[in-house]
Amino acid sequence: MNVQNMHSADATTAEEGLAIQEEQAKFDSKAATETAMQNTLLTPRFYTTDFDELDAIDVSPVRDDWDRLIAQMVSDPNKGHFKKNEDWDRIDWDGMEPQLRKEFIDFLISSCTAEFSGCVLYKEMKRRGTNKDVTQLFQLMARDEARHAGFINDALREAGVAVNLGFLTQKKKYTYFRPKFIYYATYLSEKIGYARYITIYRHLEAHPEHRFHPIFKWFQEWCNDEFSHGEAFALLMKTDPKLTSGVNVLWIKFFLTAVFATMYVRDHQRPAFHKALGVDPDWYGQEVFAKTSTLSKQIFPITLDIDSPRWSAGLKRLQRANADLDRARKQGGVAGFARRISAQMRAVTAFAGLYFIPAKKHRLPASTRLEPAY
Amino acid sequence: MGWLTHELERAPCTVEISHRFESLHAHVRFDNGTTVYPGDSVRVHGPEIMAPYGEVIREAREATIVRASGLERLWTRLTGDFEVMELCEFSFSEEVTL
Repeated sequence: MNVQNMHSADATTAEEGLAIQEEQAKFDSKAATETAMQNTLLTPRFYTTDFDELDAIDVSPVRDDWDRLIAQMVSDPNKGHFKKNEDWDRIDWDGMEPQLRKEFIDFLISSCTAEFSGCVLYKEMKRRGTNKDVTQLFQLMARDEARHAGFINDALREAGVAVNLGFLTQKKKYTYFRPKFIYYATYLSEKIGYARYITIYRHLEAHPEHRFHPIFKWFQEWCNDEFSHGEAFALLMKTDPKLTSGVNVLWIKFFLTAVFATMYVRDHQRPAFHKALGVDPDWYGQEVFAKTSTLSKQIFPITLDIDSPRWSAGLKRLQRANADLDRARKQGGVAGFARRISAQMRAVTAFAGLYFIPAKKHRLPASTRLEPAY
Repeated sequence: MGWLTHELERAPCTVEISHRFESLHAHVRFDNGTTVYPGDSVRVHGPEIMAPYGEVIREAREATIVRASGLERLWTRLTGDFEVMELCEFSFSEEVTL
């Protein structure tokens, strides 16, 4: 008998009536919790790419490294990691300082959306491709991303935030990225993700008093997944030397600059989060840029000169222009419009200033593969 | 495919939504093997699909694919790349202040 779908008036015995009422109470309280939760619609984007080009990838030149990496991903060392155990401390969400709560929830929602979108992208590449090596890789990465998204979603639920997956029945447009841009952007995203997580993890190991949420304890194994995904993209790029030479080096420089600069700006917009972690965002930025640069030498023939005085000055200018732009947008009117144009021009100039700092060149190592060592 | 006209196409699809701890994902698969191209829009018909927490829901639905015109397809191929930074993860939304 399915008691949940029955009304107690349908009961034939008193015991059955009680059982139905009890079930109904449980059901009602669950429904009430769901309704009381703040609803956040996840809005992943949908992409297409040149799937024929993906299918044409031949991993033979890196076959040994490739097979080892895939075997490691198939063995799924983190399978049991994303479980809440006794290390998952209770959090007093209502007692959390309101600004910190806002910024931390922004962190959780953005991270969840990013993992979720990654999963959608990888799954699409897996489904549309026919090259066995490539589709297997994307399937494994989609698995990891969906797992990470589920883990963050659980933390969000504890905070009273429910994600809504109803976006599928809304109209969605498919945009297009060239495969090489997907490689540069996702390679860097995975590696900078690793560097960001491991830097926070090591910092909190030394300063556990700043660990205001248990999710940071999971960062180490989590970022090892990001690391392996980055390795896979490095090997994919290694299969075609054109991707990392000639005019593409200018693209690589663009992506490095854009990714580092965006990270700097976004981190500086979340002061309460970084203060609670006991992290100075300037120090954190340089740490992450240094680690990411060292790692990216495995495949990129250049690194940015992040020690140049022009680098930190340019980042600060960009950050100020971006903050002004936001204020001008909110101000509106003619004066707001003029300030907006001025702020936009300063942002573009600051970005160009960063881009044109001469890069450091180096030779690519014969073997691409790295292991997480930070 | 016309250069300026949209074509509508209906396709049966399978929607899978997983709202579990182990995996949070949502996918649409066209059952007739059709594929989408740059600039196309897809809408799955029927009421919003809500998977309660802890559950995976698979449903057969119908979707409308609005095929992009030739011009739109070309435009999307040329300009889509500008949005590629969306693929990067920075932990925070772009909102300047919260």
